[in-house]
Order: sequence, then C-alpha cells, then structure tokens
Amino acid sequence: MTSSKYSFKRYRKLIIPVISLLVVAEGAAIVCGATFDKLFTGLTRGFSFLAYMFPPQWNAFSEMVEPALQTILIAFLGTIFGTIMSVFFAILAASNISNKWVRFIARFLIGLERSVPEIVIILLLIAAFGLGAMSGVVALALGCIGMIGKLLADTIEELDSTMLESIESVGANKFQVINFGIMPQIMPNLISYTLFRFEINIRLSVLLGAVGAGGIGYELDYSFSMLQYHRALTAVIVIMIMVFGTEQLSSVLRKKFAGEGVLK
Amino acid sequence: MTNMDITLPSKKFKHKATIFSVAAIVVTVACIYINFNPLAIITEFHFIRDLLAEMFPPNYQSLTENSSTGYAILQTLSMALLGTLYGGIIAILLAFLSAPNTMPYKFVRLMVQAIVSLIRVMPTLVVVLIFVIAVGPGAFAGMLTLVFTIIGTFGKLFADVIENAEQSPGEAIYSVGASRLQVIRYSIVPQILPPLIASLLYSFDVSMRTAISLGIFGGGGIGFKFQLAKSVLHYKDMTAYISIIIVLVVLTEKLSDYLRRRILGEGKLR
Repeated sequence: MTSSKYSFKRYRKLIIPVISLLVVAEGAAIVCGATFDKLFTGLTRGFSFLAYMFPPQWNAFSEMVEPALQTILIAFLGTIFGTIMSVFFAILAASNISNKWVRFIARFLIGLERSVPEIVIILLLIAAFGLGAMSGVVALALGCIGMIGKLLADTIEELDSTMLESIESVGANKFQVINFGIMPQIMPNLISYTLFRFEINIRLSVLLGAVGAGGIGYELDYSFSMLQYHRALTAVIVIMIMVFGTEQLSSVLRKKFAGEGVLK
Repeated sequence: MTNMDITLPSKKFKHKATIFSVAAIVVTVACIYINFNPLAIITEFHFIRDLLAEMFPPNYQSLTENSSTGYAILQTLSMALLGTLYGGIIAILLAFLSAPNTMPYKFVRLMVQAIVSLIRVMPTLVVVLIFVIAVGPGAFAGMLTLVFTIIGTFGKLFADVIENAEQSPGEAIYSVGASRLQVIRYSIVPQILPPLIASLLYSFDVSMRTAISLGIFGGGGIGFKFQLAKSVLHYKDMTAYISIIIVLVVLTEKLSDYLRRRILGEGKLR
C-alpha cells in the first residue's frame, strides 16, 4: 500500500458523504428497531423454523399443479394484455408522434401508474370486482403500463427521425408511419422488455395470489395460516421451480430472438 | 395494399399469420381456463365507479388525527434505505466471491453462485412470512426481507459487471508487481464503481415500492397502515394513504435520479 499521507488526501473527499451515510443509516436502524441482538436471535429462530418445515409433504405436489398453472396463466395474460396496452400508451406518450397535450396526459398516466405498487392496485380491484383471477390479471396488466410504457416511449423518442420523415414524405399517414416506421424498429426492444416483465410478473403473481388472486400464492398463504408448514414447503418448492423455469425460458427466448433477428 | 393482392401471400406473411393465430388461440384458451373475460372490465365497470365514489374525497383528517402516520412514512423510508444499503454491501461482497477474475477458486465460486441463485428464486412472500415469524411483525422484518431481495437481484448482476471489467489494466499493474488485492483495488474497483452505484440508486426506488408492498404482509410502515384502513373498509382513508404513497414514490425516484446525476455526472469517483 502507498504511504498514509497520500491515502488520506485521496480519500478525504469521501469522509463527509460516508459519515452522513452512517448517521442516516444509524437513524434508520433506530426507526426500524434493527439491532444486532434481535438479528441473531431472529436468525436462530428463523433457521430452527426452516428446519421444522422439513420435510415437504410429498403427496401435496399433485395438488399444487393446478394452482401453479393458474399463477402462470395470470402472469402470462397480464403480460400479454399489459404489453398491448403499453404499446398504445407508449405511442401516445412519444414526442415525435403524438401532440403535446396527448403526450402530457399519457406521460402523466404512465407516471401515476408507476408510482402505485401492484399490490395496492390489486387490493383496490378486489374491493371492486371481488376475489379471483380477473383482479390479478388486470392488476398485472396495469403494472406493465408503468414499466414497458415508459421504456418504450423513451425508445420511440430516440428513434432515428430521418426514417420516419422519409416514410411520411412519400405520403404515409400516421397509422402507416406507426406500422411500417416505428413497429419494426421497436420490436426487438419490445420483446426484451416483455420477457423481462414476464419474469417480474411471475413473482408478482405469486404475491398477488396471497391477497386474493388465487393460485399458488394463495395455497402458500393458506398453508402458512393453517400452520401446515410441510405443505407450505411443498408450495415453496413449486414456486422456486416455477421462477427458475421462467428465468431460464426467458433467457433462452432472448438469445433466440437476439440471434436470429427474426423480427426485423 | 392493392398491388399485393395479385400475388400469393408471402412466406413472411404466412409466418406472421401463423404466429398471430397460435397466440390468439393460446390467449383465448388461457382466458377461458382461469375464467377471465376481458370484456368484463367494460360491462362491470360500474363496480369501479362505485368504488371510486366511495373513495373520494380522500379523508386527510385521518392522517393528522393519527399521529403515527409520519412515523410510518419514516419507517418505510428507513426500510428501503437500510435494505438497499446492507443488501447492496452483501451483494457486492458475494459478487466479488463469485466472479472468476477476483476469486481464483472454482469451488468457492460455484458455492456462492448457487447460494445467490437460491436466494433469487426464493419467493418474496415466503421470505417475508419467515422473517415475520423470526423477528416478529414490523419494520425490521420488512427490512430483512428487502436485504434478501436485493441480494438476489443484484448478486448475479454485480458478478456479471465484475466479470466483464476490462482485463488489460489489471494485467498491466500485475506485471509490475501489484498483489491480487491491489489489482482489485486499482483496476477493477474504479471500473465497476459507476455501474454499481447507478444500480444501487435505482434499486433504492424499487425497494421503496417493495417496502410498501411488504407492509401489507406485516412488514410495518405505510403499507401496514394502508392494510389496516383497507381491512376496516375505510376507503376514504385508503385514498389518503395512496396519495401519500404516490408522493413518496415520486419523490424517491426524483431523489435517486438527482443523486445519480450528481455522483456519476462528473466522474468524481475515479
């Protein structure tokens, strides 16, 4: 290591940020009631609880297949409908296609959606439509708008304007510009965002299941509250397989689409 | 389109048509299976209208007469901050242990990678339920869950960042006698610091949203307040909490954007 004098000079400008971060973190720890003491007792209790959950209830696996399928389908439909809506919103929110006021309103709606967590949306939808898959699908679809809509709108705004102008100059109307000028260009991004969102939606779909969308999340929450921990562990294993599977599938699809460039 | 009608549909068109119809069939079957009718949104829209009529105007008085609202907001913020901070630190350490250019032993690398993947596929719902059992409901359980989630999300990402760092500067200083630690400090750290800090700042506003959701499952903070208002069907209070949540999320997003620009904009970290 270099001499201490040199080191001090080098790191001097970091002192104030680091100290303020430590102070803030300490304050936050007090607010959260986070102490090492609690952490260690909690960890030992957590591990003994985990050990208590073993072994999984093997014969419950067959009962878990249908809820798992339901969760996957909720995520799938939420992603599909959400993507369609987000494309629509993204086009309305891009400055190079829509006019100023439409853009402002669309951006505002996207931003509003982004700042409300999906779980809050689903609680409201459940209050309106009652428990069931429908609330889950709608909540996930709305959730897509906030993320995919914003990313796509930014992508569209960054497109090369000469191409759009050249299509317009030979007499294309707005719809044709969108169909032939914009869609082919944003397709690769759209697919990669959709796959990414699908991974998120699978996780969310499990979470939403617990508050009333049904599916494997409900099974898990139910087993926990009925103190059937072995059954809960079965549900956990199924969820982990599901999440892992989706991740692998999405990375395979991503590579396939990126490699072939089929969609251009 | 008229001049295309005289030729047979092109191969590309057939390809697209097949994909489209298969997708349409799959979506329809899935809709029927889980009993979801997209049109129900329109036909049953009056339910939403009724709900909105119940929710407005928001009852802001419930926030002021109940003095713990400010504390709940503070709790949510602290959860997000500590979760990102500790989760980020652990994720960085694990990333160094699982990248081939910083960890020479393959066995350790594989072990750490396996642990990170296990944490990543662990559903948040399970993690929060277990931590609520382990440390009791409240902000601490929420914070520990966030630490877990952040490790899962960023452990692998950071490892990839470290792995993709440019090798030649490290080789250059290694060849003039730098130790392995010095290579990490003077070649890898300066390269990976900007993307790491950018992702951690981004993850702060993601954790903010997660922190709110975790509150609903017993993680404390503003989400818990919202859940309480919801369980007694005080819709006007719920609207007040939702507006607070929106303001909070927007502000943290702006703050994280500002900090990102401030810290990374001028290359101060090198």
